[in-house]
Amino acid sequence: MPWPIRASATTRERPVSAWGLAWSRFRRHRLALLGGAVILVLALSSALAPWISPYDPARSNLRLRFSAPSLRPPEDPRALPRCSRERSFVGWPCGVHPFGTDDLGRDLLTRVLYGGRVSLLVGFAAALGSTLFGGLLGAAVAYAGGAVDALMTRFTDAMLSIPQFPLLLILSGLLASRELPWAVRLSEALGPAKSILLIIVVITALSWMPAFRLVRGEILSLKEREFALASKAVGASAARIVLRHLLPNALHVLIVQSTLMVGEAILIESGLSFLGLGIQPPAVSWGNMLSRAQEFLYYPNGIYLALFPGLFIFLTVLCFNFLGDGLRDALDPRLGRRA
Amino acid sequence: MLAFLMRRLLLAIPTLFLISVVVYALLALKPGDPIDELRFGNPGFTHADYERLIKLYGLDKPWYIRYWYWLSRAVRGDFGPSRRYGMPAAEFVFRQRMPNTLLLSGLSLLVAFAVAVPAGVWCALRRHSFVDYAVTTLNFVGISVPVFWLGILLIYVFSVRLGWLPAGSLGTPGVAEQGLGAYVVDRLRHLVLPVLALSSIQMATWTRFMRSSMLEVIHDEYIRTARAKGLPERAVVLKHALRNAILPIITLVALAIPGVFSGAVLTETVFNWPGMGRAIYDAILANDFNVAMVALMFISLWIILCNILADVAYALADPRIRYD
Repeated sequence: MPWPIRASATTRERPVSAWGLAWSRFRRHRLALLGGAVILVLALSSALAPWISPYDPARSNLRLRFSAPSLRPPEDPRALPRCSRERSFVGWPCGVHPFGTDDLGRDLLTRVLYGGRVSLLVGFAAALGSTLFGGLLGAAVAYAGGAVDALMTRFTDAMLSIPQFPLLLILSGLLASRELPWAVRLSEALGPAKSILLIIVVITALSWMPAFRLVRGEILSLKEREFALASKAVGASAARIVLRHLLPNALHVLIVQSTLMVGEAILIESGLSFLGLGIQPPAVSWGNMLSRAQEFLYYPNGIYLALFPGLFIFLTVLCFNFLGDGLRDALDPRLGRRA
Repeated sequence: MLAFLMRRLLLAIPTLFLISVVVYALLALKPGDPIDELRFGNPGFTHADYERLIKLYGLDKPWYIRYWYWLSRAVRGDFGPSRRYGMPAAEFVFRQRMPNTLLLSGLSLLVAFAVAVPAGVWCALRRHSFVDYAVTTLNFVGISVPVFWLGILLIYVFSVRLGWLPAGSLGTPGVAEQGLGAYVVDRLRHLVLPVLALSSIQMATWTRFMRSSMLEVIHDEYIRTARAKGLPERAVVLKHALRNAILPIITLVALAIPGVFSGAVLTETVFNWPGMGRAIYDAILANDFNVAMVALMFISLWIILCNILADVAYALADPRIRYD
């Protein structure tokens, strides 16, 4: 195959930008592409859940508890659920339960779709928050140097030395308080979305440290380079040097970190919700769907209550890990192809 | 090296102090107090009793005063009583819970290490083979699967469906009377599923690291030299390549050791295993401050020590690395 000739021909015709090069490397990473596509489908179908599912995720139907996954409507007409509309915009017909129903006769696929809204939202928001916070703090501290840098690095080390999960438990208990005046005011202001916002804050507060360390390391070496000195010499302000010149060069680290962090945040959310400390009903998340699933393992068809929400967590996290891996290979060619 | 060690050990003291302040403050600010447990369990409990106990335990004082009391006794090794379990907090944590967690988490770590090293080496040596692709994909599965969900599935398959293994707890009550052999077998049967679930993440991470570390080493010149002078492949891989490739894994293992003490609250919850993770979780929910503090401080100490250990082990294993 005469590939060197073609390659040289294209480079002569059209110069390729750094991002173009990264894209062409990324495109070759099939699992990452697949991961991205699956995430897109999951995000879209969760966002459009009310138009896809004919059911209300919270309405129970006690005549139809623990029904098996099936593509046919139940034989007994009394067991037919009341649908929120006769037939949804796109989606499946009323009376059919593709994933079966749970202990209260609620449609599992509907709940998984609605749960995806919360779980994905928490994942994206917490990942964005922690990388932005950690990244900006790391950049500022590294550029400032001196005592500020030493103090913040010490603090980060201390944060990393506290066992994470207990801290998560304490923090979520603290923010959910009914006795602290500021916590009560906060929860009144937030309304029904309270537990969702709280968990985003809690996860962000405890996972900015890796981004901080990564970006601090990058900026420490970048700020000694000639272009940084040059912009300092022409009189650019510290904020401008950090934001315009240094951070864009550390962007690849942030992108990879935030992608992997989405999966991580979804796992943390599901763990906390499984323990009953995360997303509170009536809000649905994949984690809180699992919190009582273990009780029903010995029931006929009880396994589906655990199987489907967990499968969606697993699939989503897997796809984000594929995506993060592909992005790392594409954005940081110095690392070479390792995994 | 010695100076580095001393400096790091001395720095551990202010770090531990900082952690204890943060954790104590957060615990104290959390709603509820240790009296709740007594109040809810006793219908004859009056408000006067409540006031009296609050005064008696010093809970009417601000948190920094209480912290000072706690600290001045803790440095003398007195961590106070557990209100929930009616025994000294340190005794409850170290005698009752620590052994269970050491058994479960320690065994998981060993299993993960014993699987990851050979698997990583194998994949690196047969790069791009079917086995390599299968293991690499499995690694992604291992780091992506929620541990508690894996636990639930394992229980469903091996306990509910097949009935081969017990679904949880430490062991069958009363089995010790049937002799030592039966006892050991019973305990081991109860360990299989939790160990499988708990070791999955570390197994995946370490296999991945081992593979990439081996790949970096295997193309080096000294490996070619070893092959060129006619050493058998076995000796080349085990003596020359593996010894260099295993360095990064030593660091990872050292950093995973604190997990052996902290336990895993999710796995312990799914398998109803009375370990440290569950103890900390229960202590926080029940406002059993003394138990939570002694457990968390002990684990933090281990995290700090193992961080130092990782650096030292790395320097000892690789003479090129120096700390001054």
